Amino acid sequence: MWLISLRDLQWRRRRFIIAVFATGLVFGITLLLSGINASFQNEINHTVGSFDASGWIVPTAAAGPFTSSAAFPAALARQVARTPGVHEADPMVVTRVTLAGATPTDLIVFGTVIHGIGPQATSGRDARRPGEMVVDSSLGKAVGQVIAVGGRQFHIVGTYSGNTVFAGQPTAVVPIQDARAISFDGEPLATSVVVRGLPSHPPAGFQVLTPNQAAGDLRRPIKSAQGTIGFLNVLLWVIAAGIIGSIVYLTVIERTRDFAVLKATGFASGMLFLSLAVEAIVIALAAAIVAIVFAFALHGALPLQVAIGTGTYVALVGIAVAVGIIASLVGLRRAVGVDPALAFG
Amino acid sequence: MTDPTAAAPDTGSPAATTIDTSAARLSVEDLTIEYSSGGYTVRPIEHFNLEARAGELVLLLGASGCGKTTLLSVLAGILSPTAGSVLVGSTQVVGLSGSALTEYRRHQVGIVFQAFNLLPSLSAAENVQIPLRGAGVSARAAKERALTLLNDVGLSDRVEHRPGDLSGGQQQRVAIARALAHNPPVVLADEPTAHLDYLQVDGVIRLLRTLADSGRLIVIATHDDRLVPLADHLVNLTPRRDTESRAPETTQLHEGEYLFHQGEPGELVYVVETGAIDLLRTREDGSEDLLTTVRPTGYFGELAPMFGLQRSAAARAATPSTVIGYTVRDFRAQHSGSVGQLLSGGVDTVEGNA
Repeated sequence: MWLISLRDLQWRRRRFIIAVFATGLVFGITLLLSGINASFQNEINHTVGSFDASGWIVPTAAAGPFTSSAAFPAALARQVARTPGVHEADPMVVTRVTLAGATPTDLIVFGTVIHGIGPQATSGRDARRPGEMVVDSSLGKAVGQVIAVGGRQFHIVGTYSGNTVFAGQPTAVVPIQDARAISFDGEPLATSVVVRGLPSHPPAGFQVLTPNQAAGDLRRPIKSAQGTIGFLNVLLWVIAAGIIGSIVYLTVIERTRDFAVLKATGFASGMLFLSLAVEAIVIALAAAIVAIVFAFALHGALPLQVAIGTGTYVALVGIAVAVGIIASLVGLRRAVGVDPALAFG
Repeated sequence: MTDPTAAAPDTGSPAATTIDTSAARLSVEDLTIEYSSGGYTVRPIEHFNLEARAGELVLLLGASGCGKTTLLSVLAGILSPTAGSVLVGSTQVVGLSGSALTEYRRHQVGIVFQAFNLLPSLSAAENVQIPLRGAGVSARAAKERALTLLNDVGLSDRVEHRPGDLSGGQQQRVAIARALAHNPPVVLADEPTAHLDYLQVDGVIRLLRTLADSGRLIVIATHDDRLVPLADHLVNLTPRRDTESRAPETTQLHEGEYLFHQGEPGELVYVVETGAIDLLRTREDGSEDLLTTVRPTGYFGELAPMFGLQRSAAARAATPSTVIGYTVRDFRAQHSGSVGQLLSGGVDTVEGNA
């Protein structure tokens, strides 16, 4: 039945091309949205992973190490370090600042112990003394530049990349003294204790969060955005199914006489079903190819990071075929039900 | 514009194919076909019988609406009759279903449709190949067979043309080649000359005759009486129109007695002398709708004899009645009106003829 399907697609090639491009555009947007959603997850995993920590100790009332501003005496870190199971424990301060400029930029600052646990520079070097800073490359600053943060001047001595949070906000690492100066007037406080090796029990009034739980803390503020993207993705799949389904249904209406003739000349209904299903699948596959090209061409132009993995491309092809078949079911049913007597009409 | 392939094809080619003549037999017994139309039951074929054998060309002749295409549909296994049997070769067509029906359509009958019904996206060769490919024949074998058949019908130089690039006659030849794809012993053709000019008709007629001479049984449904000389067996499905004068027939009816029934052939126009006649149309569920009641001096039943149609309603005496039946010729002579006046005057024209 390849012959009938192929020839019909050739015969109605303009409609076929329009359907492919319209569906491809929709598929392409779903790819980009999937990529954006995946990038949200990637940045969280990357940032949390960059600490190379076993966990964080935060007050019981705090949601997590990255979003809580509840401070406690940094001396707790020494107590934690003596707890069985803990190899290393450092106090840490997380604070949010806004960089002044033509376009104000939010920056999440990690105050860590010099030479202690924390993200490391991949270009330049780590901060070794107060007044030095390592920034994420997405901030657009280079090693050697000086920026003002919270009324203090910082020399950028190193950079890293991919350490963003909350859908693309850059982060920076400074010595913990500087972070305390920005947030707590230099008081010896911390917002969390980052550890290597988990304590057998947390100090009273504190809880231990694993990296997964810490990632959840970063994920929570963007959960609704992720949900919206997921919902839009479902809508786009429905739209794609609608386009393919409409095209197939229109084809069936136009070819009613053809199907009647084929049935009258001994075609089994299953063959007609297959013939139309092949057309729907070809449209879906061609649209998937257009979508991949489209997404590939556009993903660099978006302000947000887009992480489209090979698995996503493969999934798109599979889902596209499924969408094509499901969308065509109404048309297929109509085609199979055509009365061969119409051939005599 | 003339059809360049309208000349008679090589009459030897189709005949050269071996035909299973034992399968090229048709026996129709007591066939009745009913269907629903607008909530009413229509019975175009009633108690129909037909016997035909290999090598014959049977012509089902009749006006539009007389049921010839319906009959052809039953022979093709596309429509199920209400009653009766259709035997093609040794296959009882009535009651076939599923794969048995598909096999019957594939191998025992070939169908030539009125409007050619070629797939517009396929070339002539591909149109002929399609029934074969649908039956699982390999692409190469199907193509070889298609080329042979197109050569047989005189279209060897048109194999790659799409239907839109072919004349009506050429398209009909492709349709005939497609019908022969499985080398069926029986070929059914529905109005094969309906869309052709006289030059194209010539080629198609010769081709159909050749197919019969090769041992196939050809059944053609047509209203084209130019094909009559072609037939070995003529079946006139249009009720006889009595155009000759004959003595008026007076009929006495008791209350509730039927003068004629719906679906019967009509020969006479009736004038009510005394009493009253109800014209009734039977619905799908068997109930009857009263169309009108004809009283003395009124007339009814003029359309059926005038146009060779079947009675579309029954006539039943509402009270003891007397009616006089006239041939159309005598009735018109008496009423001395135009056909239009005649039709508008009849009470049955309210809802079609009776």
